[in-house]
Amino acid sequence: MRGSIPSNLLLFFSIILGIFHCDLSHAGTQYKRTIENYSMPDVVLVNQNGAKVRFKELMQSNKPIIVDFIFGTCTTICPVLSAGFVNLQNKIGSDSKKVHLVSISIDPENDTPMVMNEYLKRYKAKPGWDFLTGSRKDIDTVMKAFNAYIPNKMSHYPLTLMRPSGDNKWIRIFGLMSSLEFISEYQKMANK
Amino acid sequence: MTVMGHIFYNWLSKSAFATALILLPLMHISDASAGNEPLLSPSSESLQLGEQMYRNGILPSGEPIQAFVKGDLPVPGTAFSCVSCHLRGGLGSVEGGVFTPPTSGLQLFQPFKILFKGLTQTFFPFPDRRPAYNDTTLAEVIRSGATPWGSTLNDVMPRYLLEDNDMAVLITYLKSLSARFPPGISDTTIHFASIITEDVSKEERDSMLAPLQRYINIKNSQVNSYKSSLGKKSRQMAENMMVSKELSTRKLTLSVWLLKGAQNTWHTQLEEYYRQEPVFALLGGISRSGWRPIHQFSEDNKIPCILPQTDFPVISDTDWYTLYPSKGYYQEGQAAARYLISTQEGKTDKKVVQIVRNSIEGAALSAGFEQTLRERNQPPVVTVQLQVGEKITSGFLQQIIKKENTETIILWDDTDVLTALESLSSITNKPKSVFVSARYLGDKLHKLPDNAREFTYITYPYSFAKAAVPSAMGGSILIEDESKTLVNLAQLPGHKPPETARQTSETITQLITMDLMEMRGNYYRDNFLDVLGMIPDQPSPTYARLSFGPGQRYASKGCYIVQLTRGESPVLVKKSAWVIH
Ligand code: HEC
Repeated sequence: MRGSIPSNLLLFFSIILGIFHCDLSHAGTQYKRTIENYSMPDVVLVNQNGAKVRFKELMQSNKPIIVDFIFGTCTTICPVLSAGFVNLQNKIGSDSKKVHLVSISIDPENDTPMVMNEYLKRYKAKPGWDFLTGSRKDIDTVMKAFNAYIPNKMSHYPLTLMRPSGDNKWIRIFGLMSSLEFISEYQKMANK
Repeated sequence: MTVMGHIFYNWLSKSAFATALILLPLMHISDASAGNEPLLSPSSESLQLGEQMYRNGILPSGEPIQAFVKGDLPVPGTAFSCVSCHLRGGLGSVEGGVFTPPTSGLQLFQPFKILFKGLTQTFFPFPDRRPAYNDTTLAEVIRSGATPWGSTLNDVMPRYLLEDNDMAVLITYLKSLSARFPPGISDTTIHFASIITEDVSKEERDSMLAPLQRYINIKNSQVNSYKSSLGKKSRQMAENMMVSKELSTRKLTLSVWLLKGAQNTWHTQLEEYYRQEPVFALLGGISRSGWRPIHQFSEDNKIPCILPQTDFPVISDTDWYTLYPSKGYYQEGQAAARYLISTQEGKTDKKVVQIVRNSIEGAALSAGFEQTLRERNQPPVVTVQLQVGEKITSGFLQQIIKKENTETIILWDDTDVLTALESLSSITNKPKSVFVSARYLGDKLHKLPDNAREFTYITYPYSFAKAAVPSAMGGSILIEDESKTLVNLAQLPGHKPPETARQTSETITQLITMDLMEMRGNYYRDNFLDVLGMIPDQPSPTYARLSFGPGQRYASKGCYIVQLTRGESPVLVKKSAWVIH
């Protein structure tokens, strides 16, 4: 039967191992920063207003771009990632569209335009922050393009991807930054 | 990060068992006085205010709480309410590699120990033991993050600069949170019930109940075998491996609550059943009529109800206690609307006419359709009601098309669809598209008139995939439904409701296995649902993928739009993705 001991034991160990490679509890003090090359897939996603968005085109924008992966009903790490976005928008001030913040749903089936719109409202997001959903297949393609594929939303991890304007290199940040660290990463990128 | 998160804590427990390899002996620390505190009964008004702070991030004054994330600008507490990390039952979580400890009174006001000593030192900034909080130290840790053991909480936990009065309200609430086991839990038993309504056939009832009863029998015979002296050893092993010794001594029971007569008498019948047999939660259940009175009973008594089989769930963003397999007929209406919007480049410019049979199915389908158009700011749809027995004649259809100048007709009907489609296919100004529901049509789906098939779009709420593969891990492997066509229409799940009932109950046994284990003895109803919200997606032969998530209450989110090819042995062809945006 399903609750039998050996299978639980396996599950149990796999979880412990899961924790091993995901120790992010020291938020704000440790994160891993690397420079990466990614090529953007040509898929059509849908934003919080229900409008279709050609992902590849969006990623070719001249503005600096910051991408993260979240979902509407996520606990713990999404609030923290999104707080970073809010604080950055507040810091930038009136011209919030100067930098393009793109949150990509990893729960595309539940994250409809309406759910995403409400999420952004909850965080008092300003123009310049978009939340994208799509078919599971297209979302998987996007996750894979950023080397961030997870088969199941519950095993996600905090990731922030930043691309300076007029560049095609991505700064990949694994782990949770404090807002101050995030803003300083942004400034480093913007002054480049 | 995972459903297994809670296993890292082991709260003080009545009895301590010897352990194996990686587990430490659990010691009984007597600190009953602190544990009693939550049992004071504060005014319910103050508890409500506290609940509003905890769940919605709203102060008693009505203003949002200010949350500070690492000495930075304040973030609106509405986005940073305690519930978003510590969860509704307050037992915390592990997500995205971040460990969120419990904030419920019983836990905070007792010292605690972490189960896996060697590991925890490496992974959590917590000591493996921490002292009990009191009101003063608790207020301090919420305001500044400074702990009574002289360290500081990490940055994931925001800081809340609350006034003394507000803090008192919050702390009172925390003390009441998951402080007492609800009805249905005893030292030896966890009681469940399944609700069945009279209109369900014996075959379907049995198919729904059999897997649940089998599961409970197996579980209980395990408990029995642990009781024997020989079994003692295996129980200890099981406890250590299952990391939930609370389960190895508790049996499960399943009552069947049969509802009879008119729907408006159900609530009274349910209250009476519940009075006689207080249950912890409702598992499965099945009805062919509406679920609303049962839904309301669950909300009123705060009783979780897991995957009841109904095509008529209550649609709500805020209700908490019932987790449905899907939105049923409503979801098909929704899919039709989304498909229309997505194929018409965001605007349904020509008028859409909805012809709706006066039936419970028609009501649910049209509600989903209309609501979705409204949410996406589309022009309203023209709705024509058909009385029971009323025919859809060719003249009637032509008149509507002429009057409304429409290109899209939605036919939410079962009895007269075939003749209506026949008429539509032979008139000159026929609509570009007609939408019908596969579930509502049932067997008639095969018989759509040949000439109507190319303009008829069918909402099809089932997977095309053959079967899901159960894995050894208690879960199952998710196979994406890549097939573009469905040849064998006899596979249509609507053809064999007992099979669907059985499959859904199998899924319930999987969910319950994980949930009960993962609750680690914290048998509180909100925790039961919180833990369920962390369970990874499950495959379902009927509904493709069942997905969960904090607060998500409709597990299957999809519905295809399909078409039928011409000929005597037609094929269903997908026209859309499973979830249409
Ligand atoms: C963004 C997620 C988040 C939110 C929102 C949040 N917390 Fe926490 N909380 C945490 C995390 C993570 C920890 C553990 C910190 C650590 O490990 O150092 C924690 C720790 C605590 C602790 C210490 C528990 C212990 O056992 O020592 C208390 C008490 C607490 N939180 C109460 C609250 C209250 C009350 C609220 C709402 C007013 C709240 N938290 C909101 C994430 C959160």
